[in-house]
Amino acid sequence: MFKNFSFNFIYFFIDKTIKFINSIFFIVLAFALTFALILSPPDYLQGDVVRIMYVHVPSAWIGLACYSTIAALSVLYFIFKIKNFILINKSIVSIGFLFTCLAVVTGSIWGQPTWGTWWAWDARLTSMIILMFFYLLYISALKFIKPDNLSTKISSIIAIVGAINIPIIKYSVEWWNTLHQPASIKLNGTSSIHSSMLLPLLLMLLVLLLYSGLIFLMKYKTEIIRIKKKNIKRL
Amino acid sequence: MIVNLISMNGLGFYVWLSFGITLASCALVYFKTKKTLRKYEKDFVAELNKLSNSEKKIVLAKSKIANQVFALHKKVV
Repeated sequence: MFKNFSFNFIYFFIDKTIKFINSIFFIVLAFALTFALILSPPDYLQGDVVRIMYVHVPSAWIGLACYSTIAALSVLYFIFKIKNFILINKSIVSIGFLFTCLAVVTGSIWGQPTWGTWWAWDARLTSMIILMFFYLLYISALKFIKPDNLSTKISSIIAIVGAINIPIIKYSVEWWNTLHQPASIKLNGTSSIHSSMLLPLLLMLLVLLLYSGLIFLMKYKTEIIRIKKKNIKRL
Repeated sequence: MIVNLISMNGLGFYVWLSFGITLASCALVYFKTKKTLRKYEKDFVAELNKLSNSEKKIVLAKSKIANQVFALHKKVV
C-alpha cells in the first residue's frame, strides 16, 4: 500500500490533476463571475456593494482553512515525525497568506461604503490581522532560520501557538460587539442567505478552491524536484 | 446595460476594485509559482547533465520523475 504513495506515484498524480484543473478552470471562472457580477441580485440594504462578498467570504474561509491545516499537520509532525507534512505545509502557507491578505483588503474596501470607514479596530478585523501576522512569522521562520531541522521545529511551534487565534476569529462576532456582521451561513442550522446569493458564493468558492489546488500542486511538485535534485546521486 | 454593470449605481468602484485586486494577485502568484517550478526543473536538468553518461543513464532508468523532467526540458529546448 505504501508503495502507492511514493514520490513517483504522487508526482504523476499531481501532473494529471494539474492538467484536469487547467482544463476546467476558465469555464468555472466564467460561470462564477457571470453569476457574481451580473445574475445575482443586489442586496435590499447594501445594494450592489454586496457583490464584494463573493470574493471576501471565500478568501476568508480559505485563509482560515489553510492555517487550520498547517496547525493540524504541525501537531501530527511532532507526533509521527513524518517530513511529508512539512512539505505539505510549505506548499500551503503562501496560499493561506494570499487569501488572508485578500480577505482583509476586500473587507476594508467593503467597509468604506457600508460602515463609512476603511478600517476599524474591532474584534473580527483585529483577529484577522493577527492571523496575517502569524502567517508572516511562519514564512519568516521557514525562510530565515537555519539549519532546516531547527526551522521546521520553530515554524511548527509558531503554527500551533497561532491556532489559538482560529476560534477567536470564528466567535469574535458573538463574544464582542463588532461592526462585522455575524455569520449568515451555518453548517448546523438555518442559513440566512438567499439561494440567489448562495449559488454565486459557492461558485466563487469552487473557483478559488480550484485555484488553491493548482498552486498547492505546483508548489508541492517544486518541493519534490528540489528534494530529488539534492539526492540526485542517490537516485 | 453595460454602463449599469460598470457603475453599479455608483458602487462599481468598490466592487470592481475588489474583484480586480483578487484576480490580479491570484494571477501574479500563479505566474510566480510557475516560474519557480520551471527554474527548479531547469536546475534539476543542469545537475543531471553534470553526471557522466553512464550515471545519467542509471538515474534516468531508475527515476521516473528524472525521466519526465528531462523529457519535458528537451521538448522546451
